Amino acid sequence: MIGEWIRFGISAGCMVLGLVFMVSAVFGVNRFHHALNRMHAAALGDTLGILFVILGLIVMRGFSMDSLKLSMVIVFFWIASPVSGHMISRLEAMTDERLGEIMVLERNNGIRVDMPDEPKGEKRVHVKKQKKEGKADGAV
Amino acid sequence: MELIQQAYNVLMTAVIIILAALIILSIIRSILGPGISDRIIAVNMIGTMVIMITAVFSVLLNENYLVDVCLIYAMISFLGVVVLCKVYTGVYLQRKQMRADLAAIEDNLKRQEEEEVEP
Repeated sequence: MIGEWIRFGISAGCMVLGLVFMVSAVFGVNRFHHALNRMHAAALGDTLGILFVILGLIVMRGFSMDSLKLSMVIVFFWIASPVSGHMISRLEAMTDERLGEIMVLERNNGIRVDMPDEPKGEKRVHVKKQKKEGKADGAV
Repeated sequence: MELIQQAYNVLMTAVIIILAALIILSIIRSILGPGISDRIIAVNMIGTMVIMITAVFSVLLNENYLVDVCLIYAMISFLGVVVLCKVYTGVYLQRKQMRADLAAIEDNLKRQEEEEVEP
């Protein structure tokens, strides 16, 4: 009887720890501002969160074919999650055009971030100006 | 023996309810997220939590086949993320190329007009 309660305590501890990791992952994804920072928070839930929740289930279940399959889920996730993270980060690094800009920190009043306008908008404005000039020339 | 079974049921039900609440928060992020990669990250996390819920259900309901559903869901979710990333990389490159082509055409037209004006 006491052994059963000890097993329940271990599995409950593992699952609660996994839930703590998942809560912090969701909190980080909702709180950070850039996609790469968000990926950092989401990878926590993808690795440690699923590890501890499924470890709790394995302890609860005991050694059987089911727990072998559950551990296969963990192994597959630990292989697949870095690959998908790499793909997402490559997409973000290719798409984000203000990625390499320098952030300036000020000593007096906290943090000031210098970010010039988007190069996209500048290009579009430039093209429109060129169009207007061309039309004006054509009209003249 | 009855008491410990009740304790297991309460634990697993609480885990499922908390994970469901976290899924709702992730859905909010996937709607609000400004860029496409934010949405992909949120959808990937929703997939992770659905896999966890399915695994907990397989132990709670004592159904063995739900673990197989877990494995297949993990594979399909990974495949979905990879395909979405490839598709949006292609879309971005295509748009960039179209923009570059338009700018080249306008540049060419302007140069021709200048050449017509000069002589």
